[in-house]
Amino acid sequence: MASVKKKICLLGSFAVGKTSLIERFVYDRFDEKYLTTIGVKISQKALPPIQVPNSGQMIQHTFLIWDIAALEKFDSAVMNYFRGAAGALVVADLTRPETIGYINEVCDRFKSINPDAIVVVLGNKLDIFKEDKKTLTALKTTAADYETDLILTSAKTGEQVEQAFMNLSQKIGCPQ
Amino acid sequence: MSDALEQLLAYKNLGTVIFNEQFNIVEADKRAHEIFVSIGPRLSKGNLLDFFPELIGSEDFLNQIIQQKKSDFHLEFINRSTGDERSTYFNLLVLPDKQPNHGLLILEDATDQALAAQGLNQQRYELYLYKCDPEFRKQFLSESILGNSEAIQLVRETIQKLSRFPSATVLLMGETGSGKNLAARVLHYSSMSADAPFVEINCAALPEHLIESELFGYEKGAFTHAVTAKRGLLEEAQGGTLFLDEIGEMPLSMQAKLLNALETKQFRRLGSTKSIEADIRVIAATNRNLQNEVEEKRFREDLFYRLNVVSMTMPPLRELGADIMIISEYLLKLFNVEFKKDVRGFTEDARHILLGYSWPGNVRELSNCLERAMIFTDQDTLDASALIISGTQARPGKHQAHQWTVPPGGIVLEDVERQLILSALEQSDHNKSKAARLLGLTRDTLRYRLDKYQLS
Repeated sequence: MASVKKKICLLGSFAVGKTSLIERFVYDRFDEKYLTTIGVKISQKALPPIQVPNSGQMIQHTFLIWDIAALEKFDSAVMNYFRGAAGALVVADLTRPETIGYINEVCDRFKSINPDAIVVVLGNKLDIFKEDKKTLTALKTTAADYETDLILTSAKTGEQVEQAFMNLSQKIGCPQ
Repeated sequence: MSDALEQLLAYKNLGTVIFNEQFNIVEADKRAHEIFVSIGPRLSKGNLLDFFPELIGSEDFLNQIIQQKKSDFHLEFINRSTGDERSTYFNLLVLPDKQPNHGLLILEDATDQALAAQGLNQQRYELYLYKCDPEFRKQFLSESILGNSEAIQLVRETIQKLSRFPSATVLLMGETGSGKNLAARVLHYSSMSADAPFVEINCAALPEHLIESELFGYEKGAFTHAVTAKRGLLEEAQGGTLFLDEIGEMPLSMQAKLLNALETKQFRRLGSTKSIEADIRVIAATNRNLQNEVEEKRFREDLFYRLNVVSMTMPPLRELGADIMIISEYLLKLFNVEFKKDVRGFTEDARHILLGYSWPGNVRELSNCLERAMIFTDQDTLDASALIISGTQARPGKHQAHQWTVPPGGIVLEDVERQLILSALEQSDHNKSKAARLLGLTRDTLRYRLDKYQLS
């Protein structure tokens, strides 16, 4: 079985829950208190092995997960945060529809550095989301723009968090 | 590396690591070791990517730098904190080295810069979220009620539950200074949008003949001096909260009118025949035992039941145990900012006094006590001698307030105050600072009263 390290980025506007998603996925914990991220912090986690659909090959990804602060400018220092990433989870806050607009901006920048990288769109804070069709439609449209999936998660309860990372792992698939 | 660059790096306190095209570390200087020791294992001649996984994924780009095809690669504010330890941040810059096929990594400890930027962003984002995100507001406000004791946790939980019912009338009870006003505000801002009005009226502070016009408003010509129409506080509170503080002091005649407005959810301005819908939540607070007041016929029973839909009692400070220190340390920070001081904490004796005293005036008394102490202290920790409680030096566990009584013939309160000020001045040889301490006042307040009584 092949074992591969992959750099993946968590992107999105401030306070959408990027750090909380990583904390839930890597350490299975959640902190209510909001502490804004500055710069970047890397966490590491080995994912369960997956079978690559076309080749049938079994591989195991170890994700180097980059928790990147919400970015207000896209200079060369920021581009270096993105450089070499195999994929990104791009997060919006379901309770703050204005965070959906940021997805396009950050995805375009990310793809300009990593054209072949995979992105998956997440709508986080599902536990406090009062179903709103407009928000869901906007998120689905955004995910469709990047030909990817939309996954609704809750870092607080853990709902769909592991599935989001596994989905990205499946999509990244085989090492080149 | 050129001599000039070496001098510059030493001057700027930057560490350097030289590596080859296989990313093996060839050499690391003393400063690089010093910086790195705070964030990971000792730098050795291993692979650079093992020490700096932040470079994984960028190997091709780094190789181009080594081959001088690209000029540089830099990463800012890399956080290497673990657990609850102090955060450590550093910056990385990779340049081509003067040796062929070698790279130079420059390492900078950027912790101070990063923490400053983090603090700034935290404030900006919190402010934005506070205005726009009700869930964040709830969480933020809930944390503004300080303490970890069971009693405080129960208060937080109750507020959290009540915030889901923005129309429910709430009666807050508890001793004076125990935080009823804070609880009312937290409840309001947790329940409603950030711009919903919070209108407070202190029923004890308004003269009886003004309460009605203040509450309900009036039309032009409603009474002699009503030259223009005026909205009352009930109208000002539309869509928000009306906080009736010290409701137990409200005159009986007014209680009936308030009850009617609460029952019908309608009221009329004085001099008007037109009813106005009252879309408001009422939060009432009292330090009296309203049940007793009802029995003594000083408070209407029907109003009591109307207000007492949900009640919450704020715990007195003396029952909060170690929370007293949490609140004291918070107040210390506030007064440090206000008085531009840098007092870092309390001596063991001071802690003993703060935890042992009964605080009949609750947080208000604690706050006054610490404010006084902060004004006078020149030390970097607050000592027991700085804590003056009720005009005398604090002694653990003893509440020394006198029981004053009014003589049957009555008194003029201002005369008593004047006499006490003269007595304090006499005892302190006319030293105003000392006199103020004896009276439990700030120097400015004493100065104001000296002017008021023409004693200055």
